[in-house]
Amino acid sequence: MFIALVMSFFGARLVQLQGVEPAKYATLAAETGGTVTVDLPAVRGEILDRNGRPLADSVDGRMVVADPQMTRKSAPQLARFLARRLHIDYFTTLHALSQRHSRFAYVARRVPASLAVRVVNDATAAGYQGLATRNDPLRSYPDHDVAANLVGFMGTDGPLAGLELTFDRQLAGTDGSETYEVGAGNRIPLGHSTVTPAVNGTDLHTTIDEDLQWYTQRVLRQTVLNAAADSGFAIVMDRRTGEVLALADYPSYDASNPTASPAKDRNSLAMTSPYEPGSVEKVLTLSSLIDAGKVTDRTKVVVPPELPSGGHIIHDWFSHPTLHLTLAGVIAQSSNIGTAKASRLFAHGQLRHYLDEFGLGRPTAVGINGETAGIVPTGSQWTGPLQDRIAFGQSVAVNGLQMAAAINTIANGGVRVSPSLIEGSATTNTGQQVGTDRATRHRVVSSNAAAQMTDMMERVVDPNAGTAPMAQVPGYVVAGKTGTAQEVGGPCHCYRTGGMDVSFAGFAPADDPRFTVYVVVKHPRRNIGGGITAGPAFSKIMSFALRRYGVPPTGAQPSHIPTTW
Amino acid sequence: MSSTAPALRARVPRLAEAALERARLTVVPKRKRRRTSPVPFLVVVSMLAVGGIIGLLLFNTSMQQASFAATDLQRQADALQAQEQTLQMQLDHLRDPQAIALKAQRMGMVLPTSPAVLDLRTGKVLGDPTPATRLDPLRLLAPPPAKPAELDPPAHVTVVRTPANHSAKHSPKNSARNTARGSHDGGGRTGTHDHTSHTGHTGNTPTH
Repeated sequence: MFIALVMSFFGARLVQLQGVEPAKYATLAAETGGTVTVDLPAVRGEILDRNGRPLADSVDGRMVVADPQMTRKSAPQLARFLARRLHIDYFTTLHALSQRHSRFAYVARRVPASLAVRVVNDATAAGYQGLATRNDPLRSYPDHDVAANLVGFMGTDGPLAGLELTFDRQLAGTDGSETYEVGAGNRIPLGHSTVTPAVNGTDLHTTIDEDLQWYTQRVLRQTVLNAAADSGFAIVMDRRTGEVLALADYPSYDASNPTASPAKDRNSLAMTSPYEPGSVEKVLTLSSLIDAGKVTDRTKVVVPPELPSGGHIIHDWFSHPTLHLTLAGVIAQSSNIGTAKASRLFAHGQLRHYLDEFGLGRPTAVGINGETAGIVPTGSQWTGPLQDRIAFGQSVAVNGLQMAAAINTIANGGVRVSPSLIEGSATTNTGQQVGTDRATRHRVVSSNAAAQMTDMMERVVDPNAGTAPMAQVPGYVVAGKTGTAQEVGGPCHCYRTGGMDVSFAGFAPADDPRFTVYVVVKHPRRNIGGGITAGPAFSKIMSFALRRYGVPPTGAQPSHIPTTW
Repeated sequence: MSSTAPALRARVPRLAEAALERARLTVVPKRKRRRTSPVPFLVVVSMLAVGGIIGLLLFNTSMQQASFAATDLQRQADALQAQEQTLQMQLDHLRDPQAIALKAQRMGMVLPTSPAVLDLRTGKVLGDPTPATRLDPLRLLAPPPAKPAELDPPAHVTVVRTPANHSAKHSPKNSARNTARGSHDGGGRTGTHDHTSHTGHTGNTPTH
């Protein structure tokens, strides 16, 4: 009888627990311990230079948050403590800590985990209540502005620019999670647990050489500022592999503090902004003409003071009487008239075909977002007067890397190596495979034509015959070409009101080239001229690269091919 | 004719009496049951039970201990990993070519312009070696941002003509000292000193 009574009480309680309000007790159990689910954040892949040094690197980070209800009383002291330890602004912190009607405030974001935890522990030990840390992944750019225009940067929620954005899918990885039972803060052994491991992001290996990139950026900045120019870029390319060792842009920005610079400074102007290459283009025109068998480096050209072309008249950058220049002289003196006149020997469509082979008008697809393909007129747009202008680099637009790769073709004996910025192979977010594994080679001009062009380009840096003696690299034979192009600009979108773009492209050692360097300075207001503005920058960058890679001087003598007759 | 069993039996010769006697079935005498004590059994069973429970308890406790230790160690591992990453980050910052270049420049180092290359096979010096100079140093720092016009007014210069006979009275040494002193005073007062300030300076000279 008694047992039956007790059992009925048990039965009633069971019905209450399981039948009437089961959900309430389940939640209660989960809250007072039970199971917890923790995110296992995937580590974002690093962006590395060619020697494995990080250009962008992931660090376990925390945010420091506060409960203002608890911190308000001692806000000034705590704010001073935090400002000193976390290097944050005192007044912002004070404001955050003393808010009314709020139970949550950010104190600092993206703090290295060890620092954040130490500071919060110290604050707690000192008697300050109401601080906590939470997960907040931190992306570090140890070199600040070095390669920042290429690497890009991370925003609060994801990548916002550069390689970070282009290769986000590869870099990001997949977050995992772990669910397990806990009691009193400790994991219950043999308790129920499930783990979905995080898949870490894959590192991105670039072909950039950190030190060379840094040096190139510094020389470029000095050059642009000394010339009071708007902007500029410089590219260093390995002649044999087409690997981009440095691609510097100015203006640049600090990737660890991107908002301090205007948005227009944060992308790579070299890759995204098309411009007219000017006289550097003559290298492509004349080497094509040699390859087509129409001329040689010694072909005699009569250069009149001016050359009518369509409704316009072509002038040279310096006024002169009728000159008797060889083709080498046309390059050395950078004569527009001589080049245009020689280019009239091309059959119809021939120059267009060569420029296409040199890679103009097509994106290099190295993995830079928003790369411009440049503009090369086609079909009916291609008229005689237009070809005259294209021959010396007007009416055609390129991006910096296209032009560097085209000049590199001459350095490489007439074989174009497609440029690469990624070591090995990587897939962009749009599914494009890029990298050195995908580099292609094809012959554009004969090795004989390339050799003749190299001889002619060696005359450019000759103090007596050429336009750019300041581009010489002491001890080495340099082949190069200056460029001075009128910018299209102003309200009329014409050449008249624009400034100048000055440039120098070349390679060394000329008899066995190792590097191709291309420097462009846009809209200089002082020292306007490819030879005097871009030439010294070329010389410094090339000299540094040769030294850094231990390229010995070959002991060859520069060509003395005649420039006049 | 009445042959009864006893009679029959009497007639049967008593053969093998003894054997017969042995073969006769008898009831097994009831053995006296000895009651054994239950204590050893209970002791063994309870020892097993208690031992099992204690063993389980110990096992459980040690698992709990291991769990505490695991949580602790995990926390420690996380902290150490975070510390390692932070140190790595600091190292990367220290390895920043900019930081190294700034230090090197402060120590008076300059970039070589044209170093020599020694060919070890032939013992020849290649290239065109020239000593590095401090001329044309690499500018490492970005220029400071331009000040707004209000904060960067043009220099305010007042030219005061001193009497011709005044400067003639001073010895060249004295006037040189005054010039130096004038530049010490800063832009605002440069060029504004008159005879009074000259005498003042001359009086102060020994202390400088």
